[in-house]
Amino acid sequence: MRLEELVEALDLQPLTLATDYGPDPEVTQGYASDLLSDVLAHAPAGGVLVTLQVHLNVIAVASHAGLRAVIFSCDRIPDDDIIEKAAEEGLSLYASPADTFEIVGRLYELGLRGTPA
Amino acid sequence: MEFVSYDIESSDFRRAGKASRAIKEHLKRIGADAEAIRRTMIAAYEAEMNVVIHSVGGRLDASLSDSQIDVNVVDEGPGIPDIERAMTEGFSTASAEARALGFGAGMGLPNIRRNSDRLRVTSRLDEGTRVSFTVYLKPETTRASRVISLYASADRCRNCRACLAACPTQAMRVRDGRPSVLEHLCVDCTNCIAACSSQALSIRDEFSSLDDLAGREKMVLAVPPALLAGCGSDYPPAQVLAALEGLGFAQVITVAPFEQALRDAALAGSPGATKSDAGGDSVACRPVIVPSCPAVVNLVELRFPSLVPSLAAFDSPWEAVQATYADRPVAYVVSCPSQRTALLLQSQAAAAAGCAPPQAEYLVPDLVRQAAMVALTGGGPPAAAACKAAAATPARTDPGAEDSATTLAAIGITAPRTAPSALSAPPSTDVDGPLQVTGMSHVMAVLEKVENGLLDDVSAIEPYACEGGCFGSPLFLEDHHVAARRWAQGQSELKGAAAAREGAAARPAAATARRRPYAARPGIRLDADMGRAIQKLGRLQALTRSLPGRDCGACGAPTCAALAEDIVMERAGIDLCPYAVCEKEDADT
Repeated sequence: MRLEELVEALDLQPLTLATDYGPDPEVTQGYASDLLSDVLAHAPAGGVLVTLQVHLNVIAVASHAGLRAVIFSCDRIPDDDIIEKAAEEGLSLYASPADTFEIVGRLYELGLRGTPA
Repeated sequence: MEFVSYDIESSDFRRAGKASRAIKEHLKRIGADAEAIRRTMIAAYEAEMNVVIHSVGGRLDASLSDSQIDVNVVDEGPGIPDIERAMTEGFSTASAEARALGFGAGMGLPNIRRNSDRLRVTSRLDEGTRVSFTVYLKPETTRASRVISLYASADRCRNCRACLAACPTQAMRVRDGRPSVLEHLCVDCTNCIAACSSQALSIRDEFSSLDDLAGREKMVLAVPPALLAGCGSDYPPAQVLAALEGLGFAQVITVAPFEQALRDAALAGSPGATKSDAGGDSVACRPVIVPSCPAVVNLVELRFPSLVPSLAAFDSPWEAVQATYADRPVAYVVSCPSQRTALLLQSQAAAAAGCAPPQAEYLVPDLVRQAAMVALTGGGPPAAAACKAAAATPARTDPGAEDSATTLAAIGITAPRTAPSALSAPPSTDVDGPLQVTGMSHVMAVLEKVENGLLDDVSAIEPYACEGGCFGSPLFLEDHHVAARRWAQGQSELKGAAAAREGAAARPAAATARRRPYAARPGIRLDADMGRAIQKLGRLQALTRSLPGRDCGACGAPTCAALAEDIVMERAGIDLCPYAVCEKEDADT
């Protein structure tokens, strides 16, 4: 599933311009957590993160963990400087009014998977 | 070279991550592989966040060589009261503020450990904490050929695969009904031999009978205590020794005094057992590792490279025997594959240096034990009678002999020392002696503690791969508790027999300085070419993710990750995985 298709299917609000980053990559995995160390430890590289946290460290963590995109749930929108930082890191950010559970469920429906235990 | 140096301010959550981001840019530029960068970033970020969350402020310094990156993160307090607890996943002392931002999950130090190749944490209350870690930048390399003495026989294997799980370094494979060993991962311990119920795994041996061993009359037979204590309750060690002396060797000696000599020497101070701390000062490694067991030395070189400087720079006891009797042909009754390999490598090194290699033969314990039993039970020379006669003969001073104490020492009888061997006696509670750790799982757990700086209260450790030390090698039939007791009980009788011994005196036992230098041993090299190696690493990871992760062993590899590596290295195909095959069939229909 391509990022663009995900955005359309979930009606996500793009915060960064994904097209700036070259070809739209295939996304097959995801992770949901609000604990940043947990994201670092377990999020799959190249995957998408669903989280409530909107501060600057999320961008650092997502970038270090090699994530492709972050979806902020419950209508939480990070500050502009944070969005800028993400753009510098080549990270796509999206927002959604839906809660984390809802978003993850829809992503799963679309074929994204977590890391099997 | 030092390339990144950053001050980190306490509670500055907005600027946090700067230092680790700077490191990342540098690593990208030098073309380090992606996984190394990712791991370095995660570890550096966590270390940086620890300073922000927990301390009053600190500093991160990173230095780079072409093979590794070293990161030092030092803060000015308050220090960690209990490092072991802090290393536990889920334990956290983070503030409410930090937690609200998603920190304080109690995974910081565990994350650093998981993502670095070496980690050392030291802390003093009210003074500060130092977290130092290293990440290797290149895929690890393999030496083209590696000598091992473990022998896998295809004929006897019953395909039970017990050895797969038993191997501590995932070196075993069972494919097409035959076991095989990946030499670059094998540490020559005895775990797989012990696990094998069909005797398909053993030590390489060249002799099927002692009669095939030519030139015995000039040869020294070197035996381990476990052999002398392993002939049943009717035959105490002195009688077994006498029986062995009746087999036609020029002399029979035991390795026990060399074990003791090594222990004493290592405790007294090891040459070169220091390493540089972050400030470049030379600090003593603590605890010192007594290199009695070559399998443990192999393990340290393979899996705990940061502990290589902690290994006391002495030869193993068997190598010390070899050095002491370098001018004589010696038949070694080795207790395990690692002892044979150590001796073999020493011979090879001598040959490579242009010296005449010592003449050495290797015998498996059971062969010699059988010969001893034949002699003891009357099938051979009247050894029991000879032993009694020897005991009855008045002691004679050999003109060429050292004093009698040396003679006693050389056959394994030593006066009590400050550090009695728990392995030649019931377990020692002597806190001045080395901490003896036996059995591979315990050894690995303790080495991990040492590596993490959690065993600074111990001055020396003496690890053995076999449970119960060398008495516990599966090549000996007697239970190690029984054998150790029998050995201890037989000391006075051995002493009596030694005092009455005629002929050549055993040479004094001393620890010999390490001849083959220790070297960290890289495990897996995916490819000699770094670019290709990185590609393979990527394929390996993708494959690992695609495999079911059940580690069932059906493919003949111990884990799914091991199979993925086998596939990438073209040692196996994906069709060995029954799950992958089923999935493909489902997809095809």
